[in-house]
Amino acid sequence: MKTLVSRRKFLKVAGFGAGAAALAACGGAAAPAATAAPAKPAATTAPAVVNTAVNMRIAWWGSQDRHDRTIKVIELYQKKNPNVKIAYEFASFNDHLTKMTTQAAGNSLPDIMQQDYAWISEWAGRGLIVPLEEYAASGALDLKDCADDFTKGGKVNGKLVALNLGSNSQTFLVDIDLFKKAGLDMPKDNWTWDDFEQIANTIKGKAGLYGAGSSLWNEQIWKSLYLSLGGWAYSDDGTALGYTDDKPFVDHLNRLLRLSKAGAIPSLADDMANYYDKSLELQAMATGKSASDSMWSNQIVGSWKAYGDAKNLKMLPLPRPAGGKSSNYIKPSQFFSITKDSKVKVEAAKFISFFTNDLEANDILFAERGVPIAAKVRDALKPKLGKSQTEMFNYVARVSNDVQPIRPPDPTGANDVVKNIYVPQVISPVLYEKMKAEDAVALLRKEATAILAKNKK
Amino acid sequence: MRIATRLPSRRKIAGSVIYHVLVAGFALVMLYPLLWMFASSFKPSDEVFRTVTSLIPSRIDLDNFARGWKGFGGTTFTTFYVNSLFYAGMATLLSVGASSIVAYGFSRIKFVGRGFWFACMLMTLMLPAQVTIIPQYVAFVNLLELRNSFLPLLLPRIGGQAFFIFMIMQFIRGIPKELDEAAEIDGCGRFGIFFRIILPLIQPALITAAIFSFYWTWEDFLGPLIYLNAPEQYTVSLALRAFSDPSAGTDWGAIFAMSSVSLIPVFLIFIFFQRYLVQGISTTGIKG
Amino acid sequence: MATVAIPSASKAARKARALRNNLSGYVFIGPWLLAFLLFTAAPMVTSLYFAFTNYDVFTAPQWAGLSNFETMFTKDGRYWKAVQATITFVFTAIPLRLIVALGLAMLLKAGRRGDGIYRAAYYAPSIVGGSVAIAVMWRQVFGTQGIINAISALFGIPAITFLGDPNWAIWTLVALAVWQFGSPMLIFLAGLKNIPTEFYEAASIDGAGPIRKFVTITLPLLSPVILFNLIMQIISGFMVFTQAFIVTGGAPLDTTLFYALYIYRRAFENFQMGYASALAWVLMLVIGIFAAVVFKTSSGWVFYENKDGN
Repeated sequence: MKTLVSRRKFLKVAGFGAGAAALAACGGAAAPAATAAPAKPAATTAPAVVNTAVNMRIAWWGSQDRHDRTIKVIELYQKKNPNVKIAYEFASFNDHLTKMTTQAAGNSLPDIMQQDYAWISEWAGRGLIVPLEEYAASGALDLKDCADDFTKGGKVNGKLVALNLGSNSQTFLVDIDLFKKAGLDMPKDNWTWDDFEQIANTIKGKAGLYGAGSSLWNEQIWKSLYLSLGGWAYSDDGTALGYTDDKPFVDHLNRLLRLSKAGAIPSLADDMANYYDKSLELQAMATGKSASDSMWSNQIVGSWKAYGDAKNLKMLPLPRPAGGKSSNYIKPSQFFSITKDSKVKVEAAKFISFFTNDLEANDILFAERGVPIAAKVRDALKPKLGKSQTEMFNYVARVSNDVQPIRPPDPTGANDVVKNIYVPQVISPVLYEKMKAEDAVALLRKEATAILAKNKK
Repeated sequence: MRIATRLPSRRKIAGSVIYHVLVAGFALVMLYPLLWMFASSFKPSDEVFRTVTSLIPSRIDLDNFARGWKGFGGTTFTTFYVNSLFYAGMATLLSVGASSIVAYGFSRIKFVGRGFWFACMLMTLMLPAQVTIIPQYVAFVNLLELRNSFLPLLLPRIGGQAFFIFMIMQFIRGIPKELDEAAEIDGCGRFGIFFRIILPLIQPALITAAIFSFYWTWEDFLGPLIYLNAPEQYTVSLALRAFSDPSAGTDWGAIFAMSSVSLIPVFLIFIFFQRYLVQGISTTGIKG
Repeated sequence: MATVAIPSASKAARKARALRNNLSGYVFIGPWLLAFLLFTAAPMVTSLYFAFTNYDVFTAPQWAGLSNFETMFTKDGRYWKAVQATITFVFTAIPLRLIVALGLAMLLKAGRRGDGIYRAAYYAPSIVGGSVAIAVMWRQVFGTQGIINAISALFGIPAITFLGDPNWAIWTLVALAVWQFGSPMLIFLAGLKNIPTEFYEAASIDGAGPIRKFVTITLPLLSPVILFNLIMQIISGFMVFTQAFIVTGGAPLDTTLFYALYIYRRAFENFQMGYASALAWVLMLVIGIFAAVVFKTSSGWVFYENKDGN
């Protein structure tokens, strides 16, 4: 303390008086927050021996809307369970991952954390998130109303380690009126990539717009392409690629190249500059440059709003390769998991159960994370939904009748394959015309095989 | 201005006009992107990306500010501002104060190991934080049990910051050593020399350091992200990042509004301090 | 110098003086030393250890010898792209930034009427930092319908997709870095303020013009500050991260995959903290060499009031 005082003093000596005093005043105002803080961790780390007081932490990612809704549900839960106190932390997607990674390294993960499909097998494989079966068996986590199809996406090696918070499937959101104006019939649900190519070229010719927006080259499309042909990007045990024939993917990339040269889809330069990895409001359809856009079904609510509530839009499944089956599958949009660091796992399970099944809570959440997995919740919400959400509910119900079973979550190393090989060394060189599709796809096979082979035991 | 009593010649006026036209013109180019952001914070959300080059909103929409300010689930930007002001204020006081003391030690006193420690100090600037943040987190949280606290963010500043230490050193080295020696003869000790001779003379450096320190702490998000868990402790920079999510709708109007507002304190600090950086107003009193 | 100045002092007195210097030296740098040893040194050493391991953040690191370095130099195709992008940035953005900063500091140093406003205008871009808003803002400026393309369209130049074009993308980030020249400008301004006006007055009496004043007074007296800005800009140039992180994400074709961005991706996206640490320490070595070279040459062009740099 003494040094601090002398520092202030000499700052004054330096003619800093006014500034220093102003800053010191701010410090004084906020000081209680800092001094009060150390009391908190003691409370969170204390084992919950006394049944009456439960302290938990929960962390999720999202935008303002999601934060508001989730916090309201937490407050509702605390009101119904006065003995439970839930501390929450929220961030954007990337920040959430950075934060959780750091906390995992420090053994101080929250009790409940939001998880993404891309991470659960890595996190479960390292024992950072725990199986939920025992809580389902004890009744703390009520899954009776949740069909197996909706929960099994959270299974790693046969164990349920993460509970789906909303169901999703890939979709093309298309502008009905623009299709009509271009003289096009609405495609059937089993439309193919050949159909798509024709449609995109027609739209370009008749309306001067792109046929579709960003990212028809992303790894989701790659996976779905092979899913439709009876495979998947990765083998079920995660030690190799899940397909043997490179040709369908070579054909797909060449198709994209043809289309972008014709101006029927954005070139990769245009895509990278304007659409890829940008927010919904900036996508080609939302900004009026395209007649359709591919996305996950829960994104259509935001996209529709950005595009204009008055527009006539329809959701279509992903196109399939000629002769293939459906390219779609039902994917959890995100999950809640209970972490190894939790000291109150049963209480955490009870909260997740509430989040999933409680009608009042879901009135607040309002399917913002995707179509709820509990049947009762879906039925209760349906009459209250707006235009875009009704379309989303109907779409997920419709494609559910013709989907492929979901494949195991991405194996360890998949991240490495996608971020370090697939996008920079395969897709980019091909679509910037620095490399032939055949060579790039062969390179993908070689490099990915080397990475995935490390998973062999 | 000091020659205002003399009548300005025609050449002087022409020169002055050219000067202002050039400097102001370039300033406008510099400011265009900022003006765009300010303009966007008044535009209705759906207009931001439709009328890209326009700086004039079709109608002034103050609702962006209201929606932004309300923050998340009851924790408003008032809280985030108090936190940021506390963090940036404290960090600046600590950094600038400590840095000037340490800089004096490095630049004026010959001691064993000086070169070595100076090299160590520069090294801390050269290693990307991405690879030290996890060990540091583990130390603070697991060893010192400092969770949910500003202390892990402020404690390292008790030693100043390498950037400011080096900067202030370079200013001290520009001060003739004869001044120190004269003061020593007058009976000043090291601390006396530091407080009476050096500090007043490095005022421009201290002001610059204060401006930077305040701003860098204000915009720092990685530290607060890692160490501050409760939303009541979030800073403005952290809150701004929590607005957007690539998978859900983003309220861009609110983001631009809050981003614009978040610049105000930093800008005021600059305006307040920059007038001390004008050449020759306060005489330094040194002659070579 | 001190010892030379008092040749008559006895050996004991010299010793006592040296001891006093050592003592007061450590008292003054004490706060830094304490903070360094307590909070910084251990994490740095730990990350050096990580560089020789396979470490996924979640499970204990496994010793891997030099394999991380071997991968980096021989197997990792993206590594050299990161090096190329970073070097391009350092050797263009840094000199430009320093020249613009010094030029405007010279122009605005006198405090003419309106200079306060101009300084604020030139400094303002530097306080928008790395927020989400600036990313969007910059993409709009260089966007297909942005102001740059709108202006070039007036001259009949076809639109360029700056941020998506492998030949152009990095230059938009260089432009962003140069646009934010406020901090070196401010340091130059502070340095210029410390030059006694008497020097200029004396030179004027001798009939020196502005160029001669700049070369004979400003440059030498500002040289410690120039050295500082040069060293710091080199360091921050090699560690450039935010611009690419928020605006381009490393695309297109890895032409803007700056080294520090690559470290971040390996560490926090691929959970390869060991490899990331190896990357980081190689970067530190390279920056260290550049900084050492600049320091070595600086004795030839940096003018300190007290010659031994004490």
